[in-house]
Amino acid sequence: MESDLLREQISNMRQSLFVEEILEYQFLQLEQLQDNENPNFLQEIMTLYFRESPKTIAIIDQALEEHFNFPGLYKYLHQLKGSSASIGANKVTKEINQALECFKEGDIQGCKGAVQRLKQEHNILRNRLQSYFQLLRQIKIC
Amino acid sequence: MGAEVDHICPTGMSGGSAEGNDKSEGFRLRPPKCLGRPYHNGGVCQIIQTGLLRSYGVETEVVETGEAVVELIASGATFNLIIIEMLLPILNGPETVRQIRAMGAQGKILGITTFFDERDQQEFLAAGADEFIEKPLSPEIVIPIIRGLDN
Repeated sequence: MESDLLREQISNMRQSLFVEEILEYQFLQLEQLQDNENPNFLQEIMTLYFRESPKTIAIIDQALEEHFNFPGLYKYLHQLKGSSASIGANKVTKEINQALECFKEGDIQGCKGAVQRLKQEHNILRNRLQSYFQLLRQIKIC
Repeated sequence: MGAEVDHICPTGMSGGSAEGNDKSEGFRLRPPKCLGRPYHNGGVCQIIQTGLLRSYGVETEVVETGEAVVELIASGATFNLIIIEMLLPILNGPETVRQIRAMGAQGKILGITTFFDERDQQEFLAAGADEFIEKPLSPEIVIPIIRGLDN
């Protein structure tokens, strides 16, 4: 009974992530890649992403503060976009796209704004996924 | 790209389904070989890309730089599919493609980038790549390519 309730909670949580467009289609691909040979693939990938992405974001932040024309900025925005898009982080990726567009046009304020929103979306994603994986772990124990 | 959310079946949750194994069935006879070359491996991109290809039965080899790709091809290794990133440190994507085509590499070459740019696309295709796509690598892209290789 308790596990039914848990499953429903998990299902709802998952559905919300897609309905709110926090995650998109690509995330489903990751779920598909999880199988008997890689039973923890999803969680491992997410752990890796949230270990690396904050570092990249910090570099981007610092670059924007100090030196807008820092050539590394472009490279790090690209890197962040690549990994975010690969895990299906929809809103995060959209803000990175915004930042890249602004960067191309030399719009430093626009770029800073996009990076602020990017950080917010990144935090939201992390919190939501943490809760989601917590429940998933619980159901494995049930 | 908004997700069609009607009724998503949480396949990841049902403990161990056999569904995942059927995918590679059609390709087991002659597994296509793919050479992937990730730039600045934050790891995530490359792991997912490799995972996707391997789930379709593709033998995958990953190297770090454009130079390494060139060396590998020069050493006589052959691949049905080579995926090359746009942004590479010294020998960039298109230049890598040029060099391996010049050495006679015949496989399908796919240029991949994080942020689509028409000039990048032109550069890649002019260098001898067959296709140019924006990440992430998805089944929609991979499956037709693998089918094409199988023929």
